[in-house]
Amino acid sequence: MKEIDGRGLACPAPVLQTREALQDGSPNEVRVVVDNPSAQQNVLRFLESQGFQVVLERVGNDYGVIGRRGAGSSVTPVSVAEPLATDGKIMVMCTTDRIGSGDDVLGSKLMVSFMHTLKEMGAALWRIVLVNNGVKLTVDGSEVLEELKRYEAAGCKILVCGTCLNHFDILDQKRVGETTNMLDIVCTMQLADKVITL
Amino acid sequence: MYRISENLALIQTVDFFTPIVDDPYRFGQIAAANALSDVYAMGGTPKTAMNLVAFPASTMDLSILRKIIEGGADKLQEAEVVLIGGHTIEDKEIKYGLSVTGVVHPDRVLAKKNLRPGDRLILTKPIGTGVINTAVKADMVSAHLAEEVSLLMAALNRDGARIMADFDVSACTDVTGFGLLGHLAEMVSGSGCSARINSARVPVIPGAEEFAAMGLIPAGAYNNWEFRKQMVIFDQAVPRMVKDLLFDPQTSGGLLISVCDSHCQDLAAALKGGGVASADVIGEIVDNRQEIISVV
Repeated sequence: MKEIDGRGLACPAPVLQTREALQDGSPNEVRVVVDNPSAQQNVLRFLESQGFQVVLERVGNDYGVIGRRGAGSSVTPVSVAEPLATDGKIMVMCTTDRIGSGDDVLGSKLMVSFMHTLKEMGAALWRIVLVNNGVKLTVDGSEVLEELKRYEAAGCKILVCGTCLNHFDILDQKRVGETTNMLDIVCTMQLADKVITL
Repeated sequence: MYRISENLALIQTVDFFTPIVDDPYRFGQIAAANALSDVYAMGGTPKTAMNLVAFPASTMDLSILRKIIEGGADKLQEAEVVLIGGHTIEDKEIKYGLSVTGVVHPDRVLAKKNLRPGDRLILTKPIGTGVINTAVKADMVSAHLAEEVSLLMAALNRDGARIMADFDVSACTDVTGFGLLGHLAEMVSGSGCSARINSARVPVIPGAEEFAAMGLIPAGAYNNWEFRKQMVIFDQAVPRMVKDLLFDPQTSGGLLISVCDSHCQDLAAALKGGGVASADVIGEIVDNRQEIISVV
């Protein structure tokens, strides 16, 4: 793997440095470390435009981008934008902030446990869509907020219903995921191989 | 804005920045066009201006400073604005801009947030100057395109402002550092309305999409997006490079005009016929009190 240190450089220098490294011997794997999130995003875009599958990582206070050549590569490609789901794309549609009806305290605990355990689905977990009371899981104070952030960082897209956020007047308190609309949700359902509704 | 009498109000603005092009004369022109834009966007007529200059006189040739100021002065002359003074300080990095004073009839002031549901949005200059300037730094832009974009940045918003004065315009702003969606968010926030943008209709500088897709995006675009992400809902079909461009910080960008639906086509045609060739209808104001921007 080719290592590139782009720390201390202002945009567009990290992209140019990466470009130079690719021209020099066309490596199948590169790892670029930069010191700010904008440079990380720019290197991500550059590598994807050059046909690499890309994952992002945090390296202490710095930001890493790992690129692997897609086709013909011996390495299993992984991408942040579209995780390679070997056993289908699973969409989890969460309409509630608690699991089941009966005892609310128990329901909340079950949700924490569910979100924690969901990672066992591995790369197949493709989208988590939050609607109605489910959107309350994305705000400060939610017990699963950190868990959701981890899924997002790992490449699972989190879609949060904008109408619902507005209804509860918590649009500005959302801390994870992309605000979305019903058209997005319906398209996501159509593209998913499996939809699990809570 | 300051009302002096029943039919006269003062508009005063100030804007300055570090060089964004290599040619000092052109930089002076761009800085002046940019400083004048605020007055045009408010429906006013700029009258006088004062220079603000920071220059490393101990290490840099004074002829560079002269060219910057000459560029600014020529642009002011084109705008029929009188330069009445200025102030220069010693600094490590060059900075240039102007404080501009204009006049407007108090009843004709265009506010940013006076949007009406049903209005259409017209943008008068293509976006992408931030991306192109980043690509220029990367030495990936042809001399021809770089010149074209620097002329675009140096172009006054005067014609657009003069033409829109004859139509039923409810609100206007000039698009600069916050990017198109950042400035639209400013208009929408507190207006009681929402906006819908048809991203395919937004004029983009040729080549900017390609550079954006390669990651030649200024950090400001990401900051703009981060700042307004709660307000903006993108349709899934909008490509990432288009999203990036919609938040790309602009230097001396165009006017974003909210015009009555029935005047929209006439205004667009008048702009195109009046030398504002890139003007296009890019979206509309909708009756939705959530104050969001949806982009399709």
